[in-house]
Amino acid sequence: MRDHGSNAARRLFLKQSGAFSLMGAAAPLAMNLAAASALAAPAATDYRALVCVFLYGGNDAFNTVLATDDPSWANYTAVRNQQPESIALLRNAAPNRVAKVGSPEWLGGALPISVASMQSGRSFAMHPMLDSLQGMFNTNRRVAVVANVGPLVEPLSKADYLQSLKRRPKKLFSHNDQQSTWMALAPEGTAVGWGGRLADAVASANNSSLFTAISASGESVWLTGKTVRQYQVSPAGPVRMGTQPDSTGVSRVYGSDVVGAALERIVTSSRSSHVMSVDMAAVNQRSIQAERILSSALPSEALAPYGPAGALQYSTVAGGRAHNPLAQQLQVVARTIAAQGSLGVKRQVFFVSLGGFDTHNKQNLAHADLMAKLNHAMQYFDTTLSAMGMAQKVTTFTASDFGRSFTSNGDGSDHGWGGHHLVMGGAVQGGDVHGAFPVLAKKNSRDNGFDGSPDQINNGILLPRISVDQYGATLGRWFGLTSGQLGEVFPNLVNFGGLSDLGFMKT
Amino acid sequence: MELSMWKRWWLPILASARSTVLVAVATGSMAACGGGGGVCDGCAVSAPPAELTQQAGPSELLAQSNGSSASTSLTRQQARRFLTQATFGPTQAEVDHLMAVGYQTWLDEQFSVPMSPTSHVAAWDAANAAIMKIDAGQRASSGEVTSSFWRQAVTGSDQLRQRVALALSEIFVVSTADSCGSNAYSRGTAGYLDMLGRQAFGSYRALLESVALHPVMGCYLSYFQNQKEDLSTGRVPDENFAREIMQLFSIGLYQLNSDGSIKTDAKQQPLETYAAADVSDLAKVFTGWGLNCSTGFTASCFFSNPSIPEQFLADMRGFALYHSTAEKSFLGTVVPANVFSTPEADLKVALDTLASHPNVGPFIGKQLIQRLVTSNPSPAYVARVAAAFKASGGNLRVTVSAILLDTEARNMSALSSSTFGKVREPLLRFSALLRAFDARSDSGQYLINSTAESLGQSALASPSVFNFFRPGYVKPGSSSAAANLVTPELQIATETNAAAYVNFMTSFIWAGTGRAGLDNSAKRGDVQLDFNVNPNSPWLARADDPTALVEEINQRLMYGTMPVALKTEITQAITALDFKAKPTPTADQIAGTRKYRLWSALLLTVASPEFQVQR
Repeated sequence: MRDHGSNAARRLFLKQSGAFSLMGAAAPLAMNLAAASALAAPAATDYRALVCVFLYGGNDAFNTVLATDDPSWANYTAVRNQQPESIALLRNAAPNRVAKVGSPEWLGGALPISVASMQSGRSFAMHPMLDSLQGMFNTNRRVAVVANVGPLVEPLSKADYLQSLKRRPKKLFSHNDQQSTWMALAPEGTAVGWGGRLADAVASANNSSLFTAISASGESVWLTGKTVRQYQVSPAGPVRMGTQPDSTGVSRVYGSDVVGAALERIVTSSRSSHVMSVDMAAVNQRSIQAERILSSALPSEALAPYGPAGALQYSTVAGGRAHNPLAQQLQVVARTIAAQGSLGVKRQVFFVSLGGFDTHNKQNLAHADLMAKLNHAMQYFDTTLSAMGMAQKVTTFTASDFGRSFTSNGDGSDHGWGGHHLVMGGAVQGGDVHGAFPVLAKKNSRDNGFDGSPDQINNGILLPRISVDQYGATLGRWFGLTSGQLGEVFPNLVNFGGLSDLGFMKT
Repeated sequence: MELSMWKRWWLPILASARSTVLVAVATGSMAACGGGGGVCDGCAVSAPPAELTQQAGPSELLAQSNGSSASTSLTRQQARRFLTQATFGPTQAEVDHLMAVGYQTWLDEQFSVPMSPTSHVAAWDAANAAIMKIDAGQRASSGEVTSSFWRQAVTGSDQLRQRVALALSEIFVVSTADSCGSNAYSRGTAGYLDMLGRQAFGSYRALLESVALHPVMGCYLSYFQNQKEDLSTGRVPDENFAREIMQLFSIGLYQLNSDGSIKTDAKQQPLETYAAADVSDLAKVFTGWGLNCSTGFTASCFFSNPSIPEQFLADMRGFALYHSTAEKSFLGTVVPANVFSTPEADLKVALDTLASHPNVGPFIGKQLIQRLVTSNPSPAYVARVAAAFKASGGNLRVTVSAILLDTEARNMSALSSSTFGKVREPLLRFSALLRAFDARSDSGQYLINSTAESLGQSALASPSVFNFFRPGYVKPGSSSAAANLVTPELQIATETNAAAYVNFMTSFIWAGTGRAGLDNSAKRGDVQLDFNVNPNSPWLARADDPTALVEEINQRLMYGTMPVALKTEITQAITALDFKAKPTPTADQIAGTRKYRLWSALLLTVASPEFQVQR
């Protein structure tokens, strides 16, 4: 591929910005930038941010956090070791670099983690590529695992599920619908997400609502509140529409200040009453307004601790170095957090993502590469936040369409339901596995039911024991919402006996 | 190359007129603006789509679709609007022709015109040979699929077929963003686009089969080399394609009425079309599909990856040895367990079942309406299209005709509606500009690079099987959402993409775009607007009269829908661009003034929120 490499993000930025540095740009802003000048710096002591790392495609949680006690391990290996390519990872094995790249033998054994709480008879490990996360779990205790999380309407036993005795989430196993259910608690088409609703509740603490909910990864319903709207920033930083201002600050297009001024007036309003034109104009207006503010507020991406550019490269499975798009997104999040004082915000929600987790086939190499990216990006972000002195104030957590099937289709896994997730930050009750880790059974002799486990349904798919509502509410409580507010954001919470704090955040 | 272009036009003007002219501000010398023949000046009237169908009588429509009678001939505006829906953008020649023959004849011609003689695969192969000649270590890749798409979009005479193929590529998605469709495999993606074009006017059933058997799709949705279940070990068939062929390519998630509305149960809950068990059983049909290699039905053939170019194109072949013989029960159809099951026979049952499902007409029909005409068709419009689909046995030619000739699509009162139509997807904004202004490719191959970042969209390069945008997308907090409208294309109208779009257009309009030839040795980007490179372009002289220029752009790009206030804004801005020394301007000053006005007028038009909506 010609278009990949370490400078991909730089090129992306140049493409989006039109590579126009040699030209003057648009004219004085015709729009109201009063919001920018009215900003006052609130006390940084009271700042909190939530960062959602969405793993698009459905992460194979079974190979991300593993139960390595003998009974679990025997069943895991029996189920996942299938022809032609076993997707059963190893334990207690040194990497064999002669084996096929990315294969379990090549990767070596899963990395043991030591949990703080009693998990009777169980022991755990992480995917072999998650060495930094293992270190943050075992040593720094800034990473926790939350076991078997997924969308639920109400607690659901296996019997409830099999006999359809209770309500279950709609459109299980469907990518787009379960992405939406994770983000907005209902299938695709839902308008408001719980990240945005959390932001709604705290937005009054911010002087500017524009930078309350920010995506570095395109549109995400998670960030959409009832009043808060998301702003989408380029991973390389805000892109200026039109051209750069000249030395006197005048924006020009094709060298002309008149055309520059006309462009800004034209794109930011619609003379037609067509609602879609009105919407396009609104997007343009936000684009220009946000860029004007952010471009002066954000610290340079080249400077420590955000840069240099090499900090965004991860070590690939094949042994090279490559640009990590997730780290790039987290970089602009870190830069935005660094500017929170001048932006006048005390509570922010961010959305970043990594795609490619739909590992139906050739899973070993693909998943190992994704784990390497996740590992590097999380470490980069933790290191950067620590250098900024913000590690206590920012909590980062993973989410994904769904977990995958326990069964193998020969070299991959299929769509599932519950999965394990990672939470990172100085405020996290780290070094522990929170929630009941599921019992892993072997398949029935006659079918792919898993009668030996109360936690597994057909294909060994995990029946979640912790609902997304509970997971989100625990984060939301730390973020500053009251119980009453959490009940509004997470309408299913009431079905879980008031258990809205899973204990993975320090109080 | 952009720098050299810039210098060529910038420096002479710098030398002659910079200090006095470039900083000049319009001071009341603007020409009188407004007037013009547009139906939609101001466009303040709002009319919901449902009302539109009642505003044009059947006889009027019949007359409009029958251009043979002079008394009922099309207006230029009607022709341009129709071609905006049915092609990659109106050209003068196509407008003249459509006006001469009428809608129905034009459609009949398009249904019978042969596909471009240079298929996407042929273009890919030619580029591959040329690239290897320049550098023996290089091969064609995804970029050559992109180029070929643009070449046919801009120059192809089979406009309707290519336009429908693009629409189909956004429903039956494969992608060069995936390893199954990139690098050498991108030859298969080129073939997939050819296949969509070939099947665009045939039966839906045949299209679905070609999609299901295509090796790029097989790889993309991972049923290529997918094996039957193994009850002893617990291995299960890959469910990926079984799910998506139902959810995305045929029937969707919910049972539909023929007008596209969702059927509900007694508790007003949507009725689903399938359950998890349907997916896992249909998955068994898609086992045992492998490469069509010459060595026969051997294990080594089944497990081999495409290596020779033909294998990126040829239909996958069934390998009974790896195909499930178990009972397959899906959507009410039961294929009994049979040790002699063949992949082909099971596939036929599965595709027959899907294609005959009552959801297909409204499900696929509505999405094609959305791709061509309007994001929010009335239920009655969907029902008419679904009826045409059903009556024709799922014929796409009949379906496309029904979409484009429908009263709701043709009714010109839509131009004064504030809700009818759709946001132009970025590819179509760019293609409209390229065609209306006679874009030239120096190489003839339209070497336009991926526009995934610059336009937020690139043909056959979706980030997932869910396309760049979803048919039911509602923009949070938008005016459209408040009006209960879906706006699929707004899903990629992020603040970043909006800026990138304007920046790309700013650059393209004056400097062109694309690689500087396959060997990167040309002096400029491969694709240029004609007036930038052709001293005899009629557009140059038009720029002497800003008012007339803006009106002509309004007609060509917006079929007369540009609001008066926008015309005024643009006319004022370009009138101020005057580098001519009085009383005797130099040739450079005259030429420079013309080009600056053309660049600016075009940019201000295509950047406007009004242009970005197809009404």
